[in-house]
Amino acid sequence: VRKHGQHMKLFKNKGKDTTTLRRQRVEVSVELRKAKKDEQILKRRNISIHVKEENPSLGQDRADEIIQPSLEEIVEAVNGNDTQLQLLATQATRKILSRHKDPPISQIIELGIIPRMVEFLGCADNAALQFEAAWALTNIASGTSEHTRAVVEGGAIPAFISLLSSPHMHICEQSVWALGNIAGDGPLYRDALIARDVIRPLLALVSPATPVGFLRNITWTLSNLCRNKNPCPPLDAVQKILPVLIILLQHEDKDVISDSCWAVSYLTDGCNDRIQIVVDTGILPRLVELMDSPDLIVMTPALRAVGNVVTGTDQQTQEAIDAGVLTVLPRLLRHTKPVIQKEAAWALSNIAAGPCQQIQQIITCGLLPPLVEVLDKGDFKAQKEAVWVVANFTTGGTVDQVVELVRSGVLKPLLNLLLAKDSKTILIILDTISNLFKAAEKVGETEKLCLLVEELDGLEKIEELQHHENDMVYRAALNIIEKYFSGEENLDLEPQTGEDGLYDFSVKKQDFNF
Amino acid sequence: MELSDANLQTLTEYLKKTLDPDPAIRRPGYSLTAEKFLESVEGSQNYPLLLLTLLEKSQENVIKVCASVTFKNYIKRNWRIVEDEPNKICESDRIAIKANIVPLMLSSPEQIQKQLSDAISIIGREDFPQKWPDLLTEMVNRFQSGDFHVINGVLRTAHSLFKRYRHEFKSNELWTEIKLVLDAFALPLTNLFKATIELCSTHANDASALKVLFSSLILIAKLFYSLNFQDLPEFFEDNMETWMTNFHSLLTLDNKLLQTDDEEEAGLLELLKSQICDNAALYAQKYDEEFQPYLPRFVTAIWNLLVTTGQEVKYDLLVSNAIQFLASVCERPHYKHLFEDQNTLTSICEKVIVPNMEFRAADEEAFEDNSEEYIRRDLEGSDIDTRRRAACDLVRGLCKFFEGPVTGIFSGYVNSMLQEYAKNPSVNWKHKDAAIYLVTSLASKAQTQKHGITQANELVNLTEFFVNHIQPDLKSATVNEFPVLKADGIKYIMIFRNQVPKEQLLVSIPLLINHLQAESIVVHTYAAHALERLFTMRGTNNATLITAAEMAPFVEVLLTNLFKALTLPGSSENEYIMKAIMRSFSLLQESIIPYIPSVITQLTQKLLAVSKNPSKPHFNHYMFESICLSIRITCKANPEAVGSFEEALFLVFTEILQNDVQEFIPYVFQVMSLLLEMHKNEIPSSYMALFPHLLQPVLWERTGNIPPLVRLLQAYLERGASTIASAAADKIPGLLGVFQKLIASKANDHQGFYLLNSIIEHMPPESVDQYRKQIFILLFQRLQNSKTTKFIKSFLVFINLYCVRYGALALQEIFDSIQPKMFGMVLEKIIIPEIQKVSGQVEKKICAVGITKILTECPPMMDTEYTKLWIPLLQALIGLFELPEDDTIPDEEHFIDIEDTPGYQTAFSQLAFAGKKEHDPVGQMVNNPRIHLAQSLHKLSTACPGRVLSMLSTSLNAEALQYLQGYLQAASVSLL
Repeated sequence: VRKHGQHMKLFKNKGKDTTTLRRQRVEVSVELRKAKKDEQILKRRNISIHVKEENPSLGQDRADEIIQPSLEEIVEAVNGNDTQLQLLATQATRKILSRHKDPPISQIIELGIIPRMVEFLGCADNAALQFEAAWALTNIASGTSEHTRAVVEGGAIPAFISLLSSPHMHICEQSVWALGNIAGDGPLYRDALIARDVIRPLLALVSPATPVGFLRNITWTLSNLCRNKNPCPPLDAVQKILPVLIILLQHEDKDVISDSCWAVSYLTDGCNDRIQIVVDTGILPRLVELMDSPDLIVMTPALRAVGNVVTGTDQQTQEAIDAGVLTVLPRLLRHTKPVIQKEAAWALSNIAAGPCQQIQQIITCGLLPPLVEVLDKGDFKAQKEAVWVVANFTTGGTVDQVVELVRSGVLKPLLNLLLAKDSKTILIILDTISNLFKAAEKVGETEKLCLLVEELDGLEKIEELQHHENDMVYRAALNIIEKYFSGEENLDLEPQTGEDGLYDFSVKKQDFNF
Repeated sequence: MELSDANLQTLTEYLKKTLDPDPAIRRPGYSLTAEKFLESVEGSQNYPLLLLTLLEKSQENVIKVCASVTFKNYIKRNWRIVEDEPNKICESDRIAIKANIVPLMLSSPEQIQKQLSDAISIIGREDFPQKWPDLLTEMVNRFQSGDFHVINGVLRTAHSLFKRYRHEFKSNELWTEIKLVLDAFALPLTNLFKATIELCSTHANDASALKVLFSSLILIAKLFYSLNFQDLPEFFEDNMETWMTNFHSLLTLDNKLLQTDDEEEAGLLELLKSQICDNAALYAQKYDEEFQPYLPRFVTAIWNLLVTTGQEVKYDLLVSNAIQFLASVCERPHYKHLFEDQNTLTSICEKVIVPNMEFRAADEEAFEDNSEEYIRRDLEGSDIDTRRRAACDLVRGLCKFFEGPVTGIFSGYVNSMLQEYAKNPSVNWKHKDAAIYLVTSLASKAQTQKHGITQANELVNLTEFFVNHIQPDLKSATVNEFPVLKADGIKYIMIFRNQVPKEQLLVSIPLLINHLQAESIVVHTYAAHALERLFTMRGTNNATLITAAEMAPFVEVLLTNLFKALTLPGSSENEYIMKAIMRSFSLLQESIIPYIPSVITQLTQKLLAVSKNPSKPHFNHYMFESICLSIRITCKANPEAVGSFEEALFLVFTEILQNDVQEFIPYVFQVMSLLLEMHKNEIPSSYMALFPHLLQPVLWERTGNIPPLVRLLQAYLERGASTIASAAADKIPGLLGVFQKLIASKANDHQGFYLLNSIIEHMPPESVDQYRKQIFILLFQRLQNSKTTKFIKSFLVFINLYCVRYGALALQEIFDSIQPKMFGMVLEKIIIPEIQKVSGQVEKKICAVGITKILTECPPMMDTEYTKLWIPLLQALIGLFELPEDDTIPDEEHFIDIEDTPGYQTAFSQLAFAGKKEHDPVGQMVNNPRIHLAQSLHKLSTACPGRVLSMLSTSLNAEALQYLQGYLQAASVSLL
């Protein structure tokens, strides 16, 4: 996802400053689509009953034995002094909040029992109550921002953080979960947690002995502490978390690896200084290796993370290239999942925005054939990114490199995409065609390119675009036609006898005409 | 203006007057006319509200309509608030308009509704959504009215508000608006869609109700397209089942009541289905992942639709949309299986492709009565929306995966169609037309105007088909029989000219020449075009494939038939024929000389005739090119002949100049330049008489005249400088005035330098002595005020040319006489740093020789403060010699940088065959400028031994020194 303004920059500064060609992942505040299925979840509700199975001694459900109390009864019991009733009411609340469909979170909040629940978190002598309260609060915090706020404003942050040191592992784990939900709400609560020093006790929970299920929860919460921008997480927090993430990336559990990758992808999603911190850990080769993982849940965030790195400086991009990203990308460009194709093409577009040495590596590593395939028959989202690859390539590449690109057969699918139902894509293609003509001029192949474009039915498409409703598209098309296709007849008029010098007048004029 | 009856009355009267046919009353004029009055009051408060009142309440319908149109135009002109300009509509009027316009629009009759709907979308473009938050709710609420007149009004307005989503760039602002629209509109629209479809089945027997309902469905389908264009909205993804299922069933729906009798105009049913095809194509292209489950159903429905749709013109858009949908899907690898089956392929070929390739009555009509349009569509490929073209695209799409089977299926069809034709040609000729079209579309994989087909299907034997089925038609003695088949045959030669062997082309040439006589415009035009194309083909060594020798037997008949074709009805200004004439001249060269007297007479007559009203720019251009060729070819063999051309042409030229035929004047100047350059001796007096007129400022005001006029003046200077100096000395300031005018313009300064260079080179020095200082001052002024690269390049060439002509000392003296130390400043600030920018062989040479002179023939360079510039200047000169040539643009490239010379191409059409020989003013003096530098340095070092060597050894950089040693070696000289 990119910002409109950045596109404009590309056109205005074309060829002047290659760093502006790199397109960072900028969250657009407006989205028409369904939330993406491939993104990591921000907040999770604990609806499973696996907790109970793993911890048979605690949090046991005996729904069949207990008659569900009414909401009034819950309020009364929670506010009362009978610890047994408190436990039952809290448990009942937790169950309501854990039901599969449409938990009545707002209704529960309106009962005003959150502050009491937070108090229960502190009842070190009643582990069962602590656990049920933690679970219930976790599920409240899993809702909308408003829901999370209710939990935070109830004073839950310090309470949960101190529970990280609870002797009971399942309470610890539930607290980790709750904190993950709070952190996932956005930069404000994330930083509030960090300011309360959540990181130290959280990291202390990671050890070779930590059960894998627990470790998954910790990793997920850590990833939420790395997540979100405006602002991005404080530098010292990142520096504390990173070494642990590096270790977690070596774990054998794919969920742990996946969430660690997501965390790294968030850390690299920002300015170049942040990217540098990650690059400095030397983790790039491992990330590139994970990009090639057979598991989609690992491949997706690893690709995302590496993709972010190549939005950085030429040097950072070079590190990713040295780590082997270009040898993995061909497979990803041919992946059956459109979203992987798209992300891979996006990453490639940013590498293509680099200096010509990097463009040369794109050629050498055999990226052109899969690129042409994506352009030709990829999913539309991937095709759009592939168009950016070509656009950047033709902007920064040398004439020889551009010639190589044309030889690889890029022109036909590129011209076909002039029929795309997307004005921006069309405009970028037209711009790319202009770049190709500029390269052709340098090697005296303008006429050949004209014929090629016409042969591939590009000319008629460009001509059609002179009627496009979008002003910029129409002008770009007109410009190409006027510049390269309107005088075609004169090329024919070369005199056969030659000695009269039929082109003299024009040549002389052209030399002066700047 | 108050909202009073009196004001309403006044307004009514003035509105009535705007309808008056008498322009004196209607338009602003001497008295206060109606339109002027309305203009004068439109700034008043309440004016728009008065108009709204009138369009609602006036007793007369014509006033209502007139008020609604006036209102819309008023909104169009005034609603937008432009920054830094006054707000033209007062805020309370704006609020009142927005509060009333929707209900008013909805309650108005259709004619007025349309105007108001337009007005709403203009307002919406500015105010929606922020400044018009209730608009959507207000519209959506009307969906429940059940009144489809009202609903259609809302839908139409929504369509005009939302259709921009189809072409605007993605932006946060745009998407915020779309999101808002989706939140308010998507669900009600979906419900309306479902309800309307239900109503269609309950009213299945009520024709008038159905018409209204189908109009709604069309608008709904269009809104769907707009709302889904930017991205797939969550709502529509969740409701895809509803929409696609209904779209699918609408595609298969037919109802006799909705069928129209009209053959031409598409009916509601066709429009709806056509839009549904677009919607499906949108989803297939952009949201393939989500749409995949529905796609096969649509493929089946759409080809069934095609099979059952008739040949009438009214179905054209639907059919071509539907075919294009199939064409785009069948190319996608993961849908290949939908088409793979032999039966499917056969049925698509048989029932979809073949029927849509047939030559229809409408085509026949165009062929006969509207041949220009027919040719444009058929020849120049502006047939994008036609059925034939869509069918052709489908063939090409299918061939991507199934070339063998498709070729096999069609070969059968081609054969049977040819057999049908053979049985009874005069009845069945259309079968052969379809067969040829089918072969053409099957065989052509890639095509350009210049080369015809460039990639062909190898499974089709093109030559065999040519010999067996094309040539026989063209050999037939009667050129006017079966004109469509003749045109098909000629076109076949034209497009497959690179596939058919040369000997077959040679056999065809007399046949083509013969068909220049055909009465049918299409046929003789195609024949001319085919000949023209064949004559441009290249063989080995880039020579023409068909040689003048091979054409020798046909020269006379070719020329005769070409010129006769120009007399055929409808072809008097046929650009294809004129182009063929030009191309024939160019190919035949001296073999046309015997025919020139007759040719030039015919061309002159034509010129005279078309100059009355020049309307065909291409025709005119090729006509002038042909004239130039006649002159060139003839005068090359016989220079004396130039006089007879002048005799033949000057009368017409004079008339063109006198009548100020603007389109032709630049051409006339170019032809005159060519003629003048043909003269070997003194300039003829007839030209001298014209000279003063060429300096008329009015001529120089037109951009298109400048290049040819400069060229013409250059020819005058080349041939007649001494005559000008002696007989027209009083015109020299006028001549320099032209230079001054040109130099003042960034676009034309290079033309000014062309002129100046010719003046300096050819005019006797004494005749321009008194102006020289002035010239330099002008140049320096321009240099100071607006320095551009183009200007600097020209300037550098000029001062070096001056140096070559007048000597380095003269250059230094004149610079320093304008301002002390000027010479040093120009050397240091302009020549040394900028000389690398000079491009062009001749230009570089001039600069090299000029700089060599400064280095070696200018004493102040050796013994004043200028001496410190000596080494840097030498270094710059060596750089000019040795740095890589950056001027790599090949000679034959013609494009002009549009940004630098706005409107250049349209205003001035350069005649290629009036081309000027390149002129090298130092050519005789200096052959190799490097050797010349070495020799000059040698001479200098002889004059002051030791000086040059010591300067070189102390400060010239090593690389440059090495080059220099190379020059000295090559010149076999050494320095003392």
